[in-house]
Amino acid sequence: MRIIIVINPIPPAFVFIIGAMLIPIVRERRLRQLFQLLIPAIAFADLLYMGHGTYWSYHFLGYELIFGRVDKLSLCFGYVFVIIAFLGMFYALHVRDVGQHVAAFLYIGSALGITFAGDLFTLFAFWEIMAIASVFLIWLQRDTAALDAGFRYIMVHIFGGCVLLAGIIIHVVNTGSTHFGLIEYGGLASQLILLGFIINAAVPPLHAWLADAYPEATVTGAVFLSAFTTKSAVYVLLRAFPGVELLMWLGAIMAVYGVVYAIMENDIRRLLSYHIISQVGYMVCGVGIGTEMGLNGSVAHAFCHILYKALLFMGTGAVIHVTGRRKVTELQGRNLYKMMPICLSLYLIAGFSISGVPLFNGFVSKTMVVAAAGGIHSVPIHLLLHLASIGTFFSTTLKLPYGTWFGKAPEGEKIEEIEAKEPPSNMLIAMGLAAFLCIFIGCYPRVLYDILPYSVHYHPYAPYHVAATMQLLLFTAAVFWLFIDKLGGHATISLDTDWFYRKPGMLLLWFCSHPLQRLRFGLQHLLSRMVANVASLSKNPILLPEIAIRYIHLRIISRLYHIFGLSEDKLEELRELESRYDAIRKITYDKDVYRRPIGFGVLLAVVLLFLYGLIYFIRSR
Amino acid sequence: MARTLRYILFISVGLSMLVGLFFRPEHPHFWWERVPASDAIFGFLGCILLVVGSKVLGHYWLQRDEDYYSD
Repeated sequence: MRIIIVINPIPPAFVFIIGAMLIPIVRERRLRQLFQLLIPAIAFADLLYMGHGTYWSYHFLGYELIFGRVDKLSLCFGYVFVIIAFLGMFYALHVRDVGQHVAAFLYIGSALGITFAGDLFTLFAFWEIMAIASVFLIWLQRDTAALDAGFRYIMVHIFGGCVLLAGIIIHVVNTGSTHFGLIEYGGLASQLILLGFIINAAVPPLHAWLADAYPEATVTGAVFLSAFTTKSAVYVLLRAFPGVELLMWLGAIMAVYGVVYAIMENDIRRLLSYHIISQVGYMVCGVGIGTEMGLNGSVAHAFCHILYKALLFMGTGAVIHVTGRRKVTELQGRNLYKMMPICLSLYLIAGFSISGVPLFNGFVSKTMVVAAAGGIHSVPIHLLLHLASIGTFFSTTLKLPYGTWFGKAPEGEKIEEIEAKEPPSNMLIAMGLAAFLCIFIGCYPRVLYDILPYSVHYHPYAPYHVAATMQLLLFTAAVFWLFIDKLGGHATISLDTDWFYRKPGMLLLWFCSHPLQRLRFGLQHLLSRMVANVASLSKNPILLPEIAIRYIHLRIISRLYHIFGLSEDKLEELRELESRYDAIRKITYDKDVYRRPIGFGVLLAVVLLFLYGLIYFIRSR
Repeated sequence: MARTLRYILFISVGLSMLVGLFFRPEHPHFWWERVPASDAIFGFLGCILLVVGSKVLGHYWLQRDEDYYSD
């Protein structure tokens, strides 16, 4: 007899979200570390038990919310998200700041929520949670730069969320369905939804938030950030907009754009952030190509990218963790390779992976997208993607490690000794595991190809293909060798499209703090003088007519005297008038002075009564 | 260390050239895939183009002092 165990407890997103809520309760440190690793493990088991289909659907306000739409596409992203959650948590085990772990878990949970969302409202809810949870991974770095960058980050994402929501509402009103699936491109609703998606995918010119904020995040937070936001955006693009030609062009341009900026960059994690943009370009391009090969390539590349990019951020994060320095200009010539050789070796594995060196995982996924571009015979797309490959190898695998671990300081610069050692063992183990996966997938691409949405008829290890890739990379290395002395870092930043909101933002701030502030002071002064005058005049309202007459008289006389010249006796007369005016203003109301006989009151009453009678008489006729 | 690295590089350049010479793609998508060592040429020229291009772009336009946004 077969025993069917129905394990269908909660959606994987909620495993992490509930885990996030429980972390602060676990006070004992060792126990908490165990708990942090247990949660991804439970989620992974959860994923393994989920068959294809739709689970966890609820009715809410007349709409159907679906928390578990499971098919090959969502499972593939689900697997890699949970794997990187485990590796990232391992890397962050030494961190004592519980808030960072809570934020990371919420962030992972919301990314999984997006992955398995079957309707647009669930998607949107997790989309917003993701933005808010992730910003704490930046803010918890707790310095001014991180705080500022975090605010810019969250504002861009809130804007993106609003655009997405607008698109969703129009879409739901037009079609009457909240189902999240293929969206036909064309019309306002689809354009707004696409815009919301590509803001998160960091497609230029809407990409600046990424390179602005990720390098300011905590060392361990950046590892998570590198994995989830952009890749969940790639997932929703794959789901909703496969084959939209615009995306093909944007993706190819984006791949080269990121590479060009990375070559100029001095901050090591910002350099890698530009390479996220570049690599996501391949995925977006694959979505735009839209053939089975292109879509498979996009998913495969997202899978591999998450692994090697996390490893790259782990390697540079380890350097920042032990040295406290984050720029090539502060690290070159300090010979760190002697002090942290293991870290360097593991970083290089990630470098080879992102560059697509054969036997590493980038080779088996990136080349799928390039081959898909070949499959549609598009010369510019093919060349742009090749160019991006060259730049990727150049920056991440040659220039960055050379500048960080080796390098020569400029002539005349004083080189102080840096105390450096290998990072804590949990960091190294996490890096080792990630490196193992990079090589494993590179050597046995079947494990990856078998979980892709479409069946794969692609053989990356054809001899010609390997030779061509090696030629491309080796001659890139040759150029690096030729120019090696000219490639030291420069202590500069590069202007990017965030200029368009940072500079006008500063201008707005200046406008508020200077002209607008002055206007406020002026108005306040005017109003308070008016109030003071009214207060002073109301001390004796009976004298008001006289004060008014004297004031006007005084003004006219003084104006006239000013026009026709001022002789000594006239001046004397003017002073006399002024002093009399001042004297009269000083008189306060004294009821004994102004008391009228009782007959005056009676007279007033009679007059009013008469007027009332008169009006009544006239009206009643 | 540097010397071994150099040997490895030279050997792999030679190997990739040889393999590239004898194994040609069965269904080339573009004309240059029929030219031997086309990827080597593309890698060399493409890298120079990228480096020089971004250096020029950075030097004359985009690169600023680190405190550009803070004052």
